[in-house]
Amino acid sequence: MTRWFEEVGNDTSNIVSSRVRLSRNWEEYKFPLKLEPQEARLMIGRLKTAFRDLPDRDGREFEYLDLEGMEELEKTALRERRLLNRTLTEKTTPGGIICSEDERVSLVLNADDHIRLQVMAPGLALKGCYEEADRLDDYMNEKISYAYNTKYGYLTSYPTNVGTALKASIVIHLPSLSASRRFQELISDMGRFGTTVRGVYGRGTENIGDLYEVFNQKTLGVSEQEILELVTNVACQLSEQEKQVREASLEKNRLLREDEAYKSYGILKYARKLSMKEAMTFLSHLRAGIADGLLEPKEFISIYSLMIGIQPANLQRLSKKPLGKDELDVARSRYIREHLPELK
Amino acid sequence: MLCEKCRIREANIKYTEVIGGVKTEHNLCSQCARELDFGQYSAIIEGEFPLGKLLSSLLGLSSSAARPQRMEEVVCPNCKTTYEEFISNSRFGCADCYHVFDLLIGEKIKKLQESASHTGKQPRIRPVKPAAAVNKSGEMEFSVDEQISQLNRRLQEALRMENYEEAAVCRDRIRALKGERKENDEMV
Repeated sequence: MTRWFEEVGNDTSNIVSSRVRLSRNWEEYKFPLKLEPQEARLMIGRLKTAFRDLPDRDGREFEYLDLEGMEELEKTALRERRLLNRTLTEKTTPGGIICSEDERVSLVLNADDHIRLQVMAPGLALKGCYEEADRLDDYMNEKISYAYNTKYGYLTSYPTNVGTALKASIVIHLPSLSASRRFQELISDMGRFGTTVRGVYGRGTENIGDLYEVFNQKTLGVSEQEILELVTNVACQLSEQEKQVREASLEKNRLLREDEAYKSYGILKYARKLSMKEAMTFLSHLRAGIADGLLEPKEFISIYSLMIGIQPANLQRLSKKPLGKDELDVARSRYIREHLPELK
Repeated sequence: MLCEKCRIREANIKYTEVIGGVKTEHNLCSQCARELDFGQYSAIIEGEFPLGKLLSSLLGLSSSAARPQRMEEVVCPNCKTTYEEFISNSRFGCADCYHVFDLLIGEKIKKLQESASHTGKQPRIRPVKPAAAVNKSGEMEFSVDEQISQLNRRLQEALRMENYEEAAVCRDRIRALKGERKENDEMV
């Protein structure tokens, strides 16, 4: 079964992927923060039983993974595939994840909230993701009664999520725009629209791979449709600006851009050792080169799935042993060599 | 503008310090800013949970001395979350907390979310009872339904722990409350 991020044909647009998350709590139980481990295990068991006919309703196969006692490496690998976030990876209290075989749909149990429903898809697909999430939400609501009140909507552990309890996000690739001097100003400006823009890889202002995520800040007093439209609009705006900068750079510095794309391909194809920063930088150049038609691979590839594939936990899982820094860099270059298609 | 500390990177954080009424402005890059200690605001610079932690900062802004003593004493009877506890980690312990702390944090939530009430989707199966509320004199009031369901939970827990004395007490209270509810219904 192909995972959602391996799906081909998403490399011509600057928009990489879309995701929606709904937080829900079961009225019968205290929020995870105050739930005793014993109670939490009981609740997780009841949720698993309640959702047991999910595959029949959905048509896909689902897998349950117990997060309590799961190895650190496995958890980190789940985080690399965006199924868990950093806080969930570090959590030691009972928890679980019900995940569809294509990893498009996942339900994280007893994390910040009792259920965190997530739907992801490649490209610009926020509406589709939400429709799917909405259907699954109704399905879950048939089984359990939600913590809800008319004033605050869906009640969540963090009051910053209350209301719709919907976080919508879009990942965009902005290699040229992010190089401009006014970029930091531009992304802090996005706060005025009620969205946050932050780098996907790298910490602080250091960004590797030029992937940025746009998501909504507010969840209360706005409808689901408004949130989806807002995030889509901001992402499309940024994508459009990126497109303009790239078109200008093609006109002015075509040779430079061509050189950058081919050099990156060459290094990725033949290097015997690649650090995370190097690999992400060259993959970003390559993605921009393919999107702008500067070079053409024989078969279409999802650069994004390569970016996920070269993360440390995934490489260590593939090698079936812990790797030191140098070994990781070697494994990373090997992974890319094996997955990079020939050029036309 | 360049960062005033390293003079290499572009400054993107403007930090205004007011100490003893003297205002000084600093322009830093985020790398240098991270090396400084901003206490509760560090989370914003680190890029982790900006909004979630911001709430703590917002609420924590009024120093404990300035806050009326009564606020600190408010405790959610269901999950035992205190107001202090909520301020320090920005998280509620249960759905009832929203009723219990509503008077205290309603304004803050409104400020943060720029709205005070929900307008989106509603669940198809709705919980029937408003579980609890703070009355005018600052005491907790639970609906009869909520008291019964709380007692039921205690009863189940007591049975599991084989604490039959506690279970009997719960059972009698439930009976009494159900009787009371029936009387009320008949009066209506």
